[in-house]
Amino acid sequence: MTDTTLTLRAPPAPRRRRPGFVAMLYLYASLFIVAAIVLVPLLTTAVGGFKTLGDLRVNPFGLPETWQWSNYWDILSGARYWQMLGNSLLIASMTVVLTVAVAAMAAFALAHVRFFGSAFLMNYFLVGLMFPIATAILPLFIRIRDLGLLDTYLGVVLPQVAFGLGMAILLFRNFFRNVPKELFEAALVDGGGYIRFFWFVTLPLSRPILATVAIVAFVNSWNNYIMPLIMLNSQDKYPWPLGIMIYQGEFSTDWQLVLAFITLTILPTVIVFFAAQKHIVAGLTAGAVKG
Amino acid sequence: MASIALNDVRKFFGHHPVLHGISLEIRDGEFVILVGPSGCGKSTLLRMLAGLEDVSEGEISIGGRVVNDMAPKERDIAMVFQNYALYPHMTVADNMAFSLRLAGAPKAQKQAAVARAAEILDLSHLLDRFPRELSGGQRQRVAMGRAIVRDPAVFLFDEPLSNLDAKLRVAMRTEIKALHQRLKTTMVYVTHDQIEAMTMADRIVVMNGGRVEQVGRPLDLYDKPANLFVAAFIGSPAMNLLHGEAVAAPGGTAFRAKGGGLLPLPADRGVQPGTPLVYGVRPEHIELAASAACDTEAQIAVVEPTGSETQVFMTLGSDSLVGVFRERVADEPGSTLRLRIDPARVHLFEPSTGARIDAAAASTSPIREAVLA
Ligand SMILES: Nc1ncnc2c1ncn2[C@@H]1O[C@H](COP(=O)(O)OP(=O)(O)OP(=O)(O)O)[C@@H](O)[C@H]1O
Ligand SMILES: [Mg+2]
Repeated sequence: MTDTTLTLRAPPAPRRRRPGFVAMLYLYASLFIVAAIVLVPLLTTAVGGFKTLGDLRVNPFGLPETWQWSNYWDILSGARYWQMLGNSLLIASMTVVLTVAVAAMAAFALAHVRFFGSAFLMNYFLVGLMFPIATAILPLFIRIRDLGLLDTYLGVVLPQVAFGLGMAILLFRNFFRNVPKELFEAALVDGGGYIRFFWFVTLPLSRPILATVAIVAFVNSWNNYIMPLIMLNSQDKYPWPLGIMIYQGEFSTDWQLVLAFITLTILPTVIVFFAAQKHIVAGLTAGAVKG
Repeated sequence: MASIALNDVRKFFGHHPVLHGISLEIRDGEFVILVGPSGCGKSTLLRMLAGLEDVSEGEISIGGRVVNDMAPKERDIAMVFQNYALYPHMTVADNMAFSLRLAGAPKAQKQAAVARAAEILDLSHLLDRFPRELSGGQRQRVAMGRAIVRDPAVFLFDEPLSNLDAKLRVAMRTEIKALHQRLKTTMVYVTHDQIEAMTMADRIVVMNGGRVEQVGRPLDLYDKPANLFVAAFIGSPAMNLLHGEAVAAPGGTAFRAKGGGLLPLPADRGVQPGTPLVYGVRPEHIELAASAACDTEAQIAVVEPTGSETQVFMTLGSDSLVGVFRERVADEPGSTLRLRIDPARVHLFEPSTGARIDAAAASTSPIREAVLA
């Protein structure tokens, strides 16, 4: 990895020219468009949370007539918001821990141990990548019911882990395969085996990919709507996406509260994403170039 | 400390044979270098000693114990890899202490062992650095330090110097040799650089195509190469090898090269006129004749002075010949040089088998017998 001989020699970098005016204009324009696509809904949601329902109907995109801080305040001071946040956090954490642990070990075996059927097993996991959750809901529900896990956190966590495993294994395996073989041999001579090599060498070297897989699993779980909807019955176990339903009355929906609620629940993931941005990019591009 | 014995060791990758029966004894404390061209199986043999490849056939023992089925850690060996294989996320000290950490050694013992190795290798001021913060030579020393810390019975090196620049390589050569003299541990060292082998080894094992061509002390290989391969491989610039046959000459027999040149033959080899031969003479054993009494004459093609000596590429008939002379030679392509060759320093080989033709009376050396057997 850092050892000189193991890195491929990169082709000489093309000479940097200052892009011309038109190119710069094009660059900035396209970046603005992409940024707008991401930011406009986020801001509309956040600002919409400060409006009254009437204001929101008349003027969905502008600034509020009067800033209704109480929308946010009511949510923050109620117990329900915190409980749902706690539920979401618990489910997401369990999903992350299980996904990372299982996928890392499976990927290590697939990357380093040659055994009968390993290619088949890998492809089996990859096929899972193409499987939409929605089509599996009914059999999944029956299976979880048979296991007696309905209306438990585990009933949500296990299917989420199963669906996240394909991607996680793929990312891990590609990363592990680029750990030089000599490191394993050195560890072997130093008195370690597969397990200690995994623990003492592979995992510490894999921090970027660990972060990537963890965050992807976390965000997927955080935003997952259908799984808790199917598996959970009691309100005190609801994660936040189900919480939105509470503001949907029979005849009208308090959209301003829904927006404020969404803003408050999305905030943690946005913060986590910004904090770990560097790792995620490093992890997703790892394996593209050996080094 | 341990001796090593290889008994008819073979290696197949699938059905593809790579080592064709290697037998070798390495004494306790000896520094043995495996040398040979790329792909001849040196690394494979070393990795079999380390336990990183399994043995297809034959037997390897280290310190009297057969180790064929032992894991690397049970063999009491340490290995230094070509690309060092340092753990990138550990400091120098942690890299060196890793084996002790896996063995569950107490902290004090780890520190003492690391401190000792660091002191031997002059690494004490680098212990807190990470491998990426070290130069190539320093990484090399850390890799050796990691081996020293384990205090193994046998050190194994696989081309440890090939990633270093020429100057550093010479310095590290001396350092490794000094290390061996200090530790007096058995060392097996792989290289394809014959200069490295000549300068460092107690004994050299010349390999080619999965076979041992010759085993011997460096100067023995230089003075008495057992066959054409070793003759061409050991020595720089390489030995001149001319094909031709023995012919009758006024003073006895001489050698007539295919290219037309006539060269003196040693009288003691008992070759009859008409015998096909390969005639070998090292460039440094060709001399310029002072008087008209010369053995042969050759034409200058290219002159390459290095200051201390002059390397001259010549043509002898239609053969080419290289000479290294102490004297300075004027760079006049096409002009004639008169040469003397001491017949005692001439090597003769059978063209068909490549085997050395020794003096008829002289007894063959035991080493050579072992090789040819
Ligand atoms: N894992 C393997 N599978 C199949 N063939 C192999 C394997 N490892 C080595 N070989 C073959 O065995 C032969 C010897 O390889 P080895 O690495 O021992 O050569 P070497 O003498 O160390 O060469 P070099 O000086 O280039 O390192 C080569 O022909 C190589 O292609
Ligand atoms: Mg090799």
